[in-house]
Amino acid sequence: MRTLTRLALTTLAVFTLAGCGDRPDATRQENSTAEAQAGATKLTLAATLKAGEAHAGLAKVLNNSGLMGALEGVGPYTLFAPADDALKGAGGADFTDAALKAEGAALLRAHIVPGALTRADIIGAVDRSGSKGAQMRTMGGSLLTFTRSGNDLIATASDGASARLTGQEVLASNGVLQPLDGLLARPSAAPN
Amino acid sequence: MKDNSMIKLLTLSAALLLTVSASQALAQGHGGDKPGKEGKGGGGEHAQGDKDHPGNGGKGNKPKDRGDEDRGDKGENRYQQAERDDDRGRGREYAGSNRERDRDHDQYRAYGLIKGCPPGLAKKNNGCLPPGQAKKAQRARYDFGWGQANDGFVHRYDDGYQYRYDRQGSLLGYLPALGGALSAGNPWPTQYRYEPAPRSQLDYYRLNDSSDYRYADGAIYRVDPKTAMIQQVVALVTGQSAAVGQRLPSGYDVYNVPYAYRDQYPDTANTTYRYNDGAIYQVNPKTQMIMAVIQLLAQKR
Repeated sequence: MRTLTRLALTTLAVFTLAGCGDRPDATRQENSTAEAQAGATKLTLAATLKAGEAHAGLAKVLNNSGLMGALEGVGPYTLFAPADDALKGAGGADFTDAALKAEGAALLRAHIVPGALTRADIIGAVDRSGSKGAQMRTMGGSLLTFTRSGNDLIATASDGASARLTGQEVLASNGVLQPLDGLLARPSAAPN
Repeated sequence: MKDNSMIKLLTLSAALLLTVSASQALAQGHGGDKPGKEGKGGGGEHAQGDKDHPGNGGKGNKPKDRGDEDRGDKGENRYQQAERDDDRGRGREYAGSNRERDRDHDQYRAYGLIKGCPPGLAKKNNGCLPPGQAKKAQRARYDFGWGQANDGFVHRYDDGYQYRYDRQGSLLGYLPALGGALSAGNPWPTQYRYEPAPRSQLDYYRLNDSSDYRYADGAIYRVDPKTAMIQQVVALVTGQSAAVGQRLPSGYDVYNVPYAYRDQYPDTANTTYRYNDGAIYQVNPKTQMIMAVIQLLAQKR
């Protein structure tokens, strides 16, 4: 009897385990992006920015605005990183100035979207979207629209400012850094 | 007697097997018009099905095992109250499907709007003039970055605060701005209502120490519980939420699932997955309806 009981329980356990094991295999689809995981560095976005010279100016603005701490956290975020020489406000306003902390924060939130967006993900979405482009919500509440122009990927903000995705993406441990050649915001027009 | 017990045990085993098989079929089906509860199957040990819709907890299927989630749930209920309050003030000015889809988002971010004449302007005794008029020379850079929300309002920034006007120029209220009044080293503005960050997000962002974590306007702040001094912006959030059975808000066209969950939640022809604020939304790509909200835990990256 004890043997029979054990047999019954073992059978149940085997079927249950087999059932649990089925699911990941069944959902492992053609667009599995394990390579994204494998290619990710162990550095956070914040550490990536601090480690390199390529975005030293951007790192200063992130520090000044108080957003760098968030980029050290769990995330993930995708940071569309403007080239340092584009990171200026109207009239050459310097967002590393302590008086422009909030302006810098608002500006950079319009460059950060939730989740990990690889270049391949963006291309895939643009190709699916047809002519209207693929949209993503930013941490500033606005929408970015991605389109193709020849071989280039273009990001356009809701105020019409646009920039080209350039260079190499960096897959950080808590998100992706996507370099841009410009700023995704326009300075406001002078008041009437 | 012993034989009867054995038969009962085998019957129980068979019943359990059927249950396991059925729930797996639901989890794997990706059928399109299923209710949201199958998300529990999809979640495995790293997800909780549609357990806790961030910012919108009352609308979806209530979980059976809420356990210690009271704190987050209360916060969510208060968000809903705040949205209703705000709705009365704003009226119904949205039209068109995208605007409707995004309305909740805008209201969520407007949480805590302080009515009346801001203290800075009151001090200047200038009749609560818009800061744009008071500081014309600096407008060009002060408005930088705030003008993109496309939410039907006009935004201005001045001296730590973001001001909101209607299109006719009437001041509707003001909010402390991230990097302005809401900066590390500043006390939390006393007039500014805040919410404790939702428990699900605290868990996900690994913010489980004794600090006070407050949600406001798209960010989670660490605040000293004794002095109410702001210490750090610890996470950025869209504040955008949607429940099972609602349409996914606009702005999630690109697959953005964290690396560690990509094998588990890949897009297919019948199901897409999108990440936001610590949760993965399982969506029917044809209808854009949310089939499940899978609250992530922070074990994986």
